[in-house]
Amino acid sequence: MSELLEFLRQLFTDPFGLLDIPVREWVTDAVNWIVRTFRDFFRSYVSPPVRGVMELFQWALSSVPPLVFLALAYVIAWRAASWRVAAFTVIAFTFIGFMGVWDQMIITLSLIATAVFFCILIGLPIGILCSRSDWFYTVVRPVLDIMQTTPPFVYLIPAVMLFSIGNVPGLIATIIFAMPPMIRLTNLGIRQVETQYIEAAVAFGSTPREILWKVQVPLALPTIMAGINQTIMLSLSMVVIAAIIGAGGLGLEVYAGLERLNIGQAFVGGIAIVLLAMVLDRVTQGLGEKGPASRAKRSE
Amino acid sequence: MIRAEGITKIFGPDGQSILPLLEQGMTKDEIQAETGHVVGVRDANFEIEAGEVFCIMGLSGSGKSTLIRCINRLIEPTAGRIFLNDGESGEREITAMDDGELRELRKRDMSMVFQHFALFPHRTVLANTVYGLEIQRRNAEESLQIGRRVLDMVGLGGWEESYPHELSGGMQQRVGLARALATEARVLLMDEPFSALDPLIKVNMQQELVRIQKDLERTILFITHDLDEAMRIGDQIAIMDAGEVVQIGNPEEILINPKTEYVANFVEHADPTGVLTAGTIALRFDEDQFKRVDDSGDLIYYVRRSDPEGARFGVDRDQRLRAVVPAGHRESVELVGLDDIAERAADETSDGGRRDDLALRCDEQAVLRTVLKGRSCSTVPTVVTDADGRLLGIIDEPELIRGILDKKGHGEQADSNGAGVEPASGGESKP
Repeated sequence: MSELLEFLRQLFTDPFGLLDIPVREWVTDAVNWIVRTFRDFFRSYVSPPVRGVMELFQWALSSVPPLVFLALAYVIAWRAASWRVAAFTVIAFTFIGFMGVWDQMIITLSLIATAVFFCILIGLPIGILCSRSDWFYTVVRPVLDIMQTTPPFVYLIPAVMLFSIGNVPGLIATIIFAMPPMIRLTNLGIRQVETQYIEAAVAFGSTPREILWKVQVPLALPTIMAGINQTIMLSLSMVVIAAIIGAGGLGLEVYAGLERLNIGQAFVGGIAIVLLAMVLDRVTQGLGEKGPASRAKRSE
Repeated sequence: MIRAEGITKIFGPDGQSILPLLEQGMTKDEIQAETGHVVGVRDANFEIEAGEVFCIMGLSGSGKSTLIRCINRLIEPTAGRIFLNDGESGEREITAMDDGELRELRKRDMSMVFQHFALFPHRTVLANTVYGLEIQRRNAEESLQIGRRVLDMVGLGGWEESYPHELSGGMQQRVGLARALATEARVLLMDEPFSALDPLIKVNMQQELVRIQKDLERTILFITHDLDEAMRIGDQIAIMDAGEVVQIGNPEEILINPKTEYVANFVEHADPTGVLTAGTIALRFDEDQFKRVDDSGDLIYYVRRSDPEGARFGVDRDQRLRAVVPAGHRESVELVGLDDIAERAADETSDGGRRDDLALRCDEQAVLRTVLKGRSCSTVPTVVTDADGRLLGIIDEPELIRGILDKKGHGEQADSNGAGVEPASGGESKP
């Protein structure tokens, strides 16, 4: 009888004390288990390609002499967007150079290029699958939500446990963080293609695959480009955070500056990141707007 | 070429379950109210000959777009069978094809033109045109050659590298037509292809289509909500109302003998001058209408009973027309064919006046418009003759007026039984 009374009392005063769901332990155990079981797999099969691609980008970007780099940047920005963007690009890069963080900028650029490369490589097919199967999209959506809303710091730790410290775990965290918009916007872009075009393609006897590659993907390209743009922006913001676990580049500049309370150093890194972000944003936006599909959309 | 048997399409979660209700004779509205299913097409039967332009006409919502999509199964019919016979591979049942066969059918045997063009905005005009050939996996060089030739045919030579949005609506639909022609499919499905175009462009495109069709002789299934358009280009017209095909016939049959009030409503606003033929409107040459006035010579002369003082028509023993003597004349006047008078009017410096010493002759197939044109140069009744020159009837002012206003000839007066076909004069006209 007194036991029942005690139970009722607790039910009213502290109902959540009655049961303890040990999520903390579960996660710890799960992560430990994953780390123990897959560490070798990740280190021998996931690390090398990521590192390889990154080193390739880094080698390519840093072997270009700065003046040639500026000239190339001008041409690319001019073709992709406009001469205004091109001029801004050159001024921004020059300024970064004169601030003395050119080499760090090259590292950051190659980190972003690597992250975006893998985001597209993985995100595009997943996005296409999502657009073709409601069932698959229902499964993927919560995963995307988790990837996007989890504070980036949270998956730095398992990344370190799996890949130790350095550029690679930083990149892995960046790829996970930056991929969702790629998937979402690929899916959205393909689903938004007007049914009249699909109907026309079907009426001429196209197979589903032909419809996808000849009609849906080209027409979704402006939206997919917006996804790539978002992915670039997100990787840029993550690359800074990844400096905590040993990624190099401008992020490291900021992080080191903050650690030593060297505001000037942190600020230089910050300004360089902002300039880089603006350049990448304008150039990729320009790319998205230049295709014939988006030209047609504008004139409608 | 194409035969449709009992095509029925019911939209809704369980179309099959509605079929018995249709057999019980429930109407579209009753079925919709009771079960929530929408009857798109109800028991459509028709046959289209090779090389024919078959128009399906009806208001929006009458199921014509659904019906045409059942033919190439962009929409799956709930019941009914569709057969294609192209004369080479025998009769094939479209409704029994699997996905692969269906794709082959759409690639090679049937192509389609859409109301809103549905041109791929990311492809140039030429790339749009060769889309079907690309799907057929034709050699690229050959495809581009065919594409250029077809674009020339529709009058778009020189626009190959433009993008669709740079073109006007009429030109875009020419691309749509070129894309459909390029695959060399024998059957062309055209879903209101000219409805989105300006009236002038529309007429232009209709003429263009008739011209192209003369050369290519495709079998065309043409959807429209415009009866004049259907009459201009259609060999056969099927009229749809609330999912049902209510009448099928050639333009003239529809015009002079509309079977339901719905059809009559359309016909009331149609332009008859390009459809009605001389044979239909003419006053038939028989004893009821004509009186023998003089058979003393080689020829037998007749006058119209209602106008005994009017023109006299002389025929020989074989009823061949030999002479036309207008009122106030003693001798037969010159007799000229309708086709020749048009040329002559262009040659001579005529003052535009109407001559009373010239009679016109036409055959039964001449349309009202050309008869009217001829009559603008002559006051004498136009005579209708057959291929051997036998007199079949005459067309004077009463016949012309009756033809234009009532869309009826003397021949139909007797058998038009009145009920329901009288155009509702007070009823509101549908736009």
